[in-house]
Amino acid sequence: MSKVGHTAVADGHPAHLQHHFVNSEQQFDAAKMGMWLFLVTEILLFCGMFVAYTVYRAWHPEVFQAASVLLDRVWGGVNTVILLTSSLTVALSIRSIQVGNQKWLVRNLILTVVLAFGFLIVKYFEYTHKFHLHIFPGENYAYEGLDMMYVPIFFSIYFVMTGIHGFHVLVGIGVLSWIAVRASRGAFSPEYYTPVEVSGLYWHLVDIIWIFLFPLLYLI
Amino acid sequence: MDHEKDGHGHHIIPLKVYWAVFGMLIFLTVVTVLSAYVDLGGLNVPLALAIAGVKATLVVLFFMALKYDKKVNVMIFSIGLLFVLVFIGFVLLDTLYRGEFDPILQGTVAEQQVSERALEVRRDSIDVLQGAVDTSGVTQ
Repeated sequence: MSKVGHTAVADGHPAHLQHHFVNSEQQFDAAKMGMWLFLVTEILLFCGMFVAYTVYRAWHPEVFQAASVLLDRVWGGVNTVILLTSSLTVALSIRSIQVGNQKWLVRNLILTVVLAFGFLIVKYFEYTHKFHLHIFPGENYAYEGLDMMYVPIFFSIYFVMTGIHGFHVLVGIGVLSWIAVRASRGAFSPEYYTPVEVSGLYWHLVDIIWIFLFPLLYLI
Repeated sequence: MDHEKDGHGHHIIPLKVYWAVFGMLIFLTVVTVLSAYVDLGGLNVPLALAIAGVKATLVVLFFMALKYDKKVNVMIFSIGLLFVLVFIGFVLLDTLYRGEFDPILQGTVAEQQVSERALEVRRDSIDVLQGAVDTSGVTQ
């Protein structure tokens, strides 16, 4: 028991174990189940926007095809690779702590945060390029290269969906940075790495949303 | 001290599985981008969605380790997906068929029959008047 925690308390409980849980395993399972429930609410949040996309696409497929050409497939693809790689690094960070490798836990977390910043930087240049062309959402749309009814609706959907997704990336950067700082201070061990695990789950969901956003907005 | 005895049951996925999944995800990304440059007619959209579905499944099963997770988490996630289908499916039941089932005539069938009969009576009387005008025109 004494090996478990750097700060094991007198009654034999590891420091991370809350009193209302029977043991670490139950605490871990409860946290993880809570995260999955939260992820389902996140999926349904994005689902509302995917429904808006589906309805308008079903009504005006030719408009969506014409408007999607205005998005840069190459940069969208680069961002997809960036997010997939960050998903790998966050998964590897969990594996690192499972096998007790503190050094690679921190390294993988930092890599993930760096990749997340990379994603936002690409997104920044994509957005500013669109604004430069006067491609704004809704009635502010003023691009002369594609003057077609309902194109502004496509860009409303584009900016809202990628915007809310980008906000999730920003939140992920905050959470994973905090986890990285705690990890560098030795807060986690193979016996206790729940925050790394649940933050990782959140980050994978951000990746999954983008896996669908990329083809729907950029490719088809 | 049995608090920690059962704490080592977490499945540790081998490194090569992570790298194989990652390789597959990148491969599928390249395929989906390339397929966008080819006109497959009606197949472009289903293909892109199928590839995205496979990629998401890979992430969920291996990166999120749902394959090795507690069944209750599998159930929570599956119910979430079910509600996604309900959400999209039921909205499309409305928006795809809007207008096709709208009532074209106001009122109940009985009221419609009454107004239809009234219309016929009016039409007949107009015909009679028209005939009267025609015949008077001929005689003049």
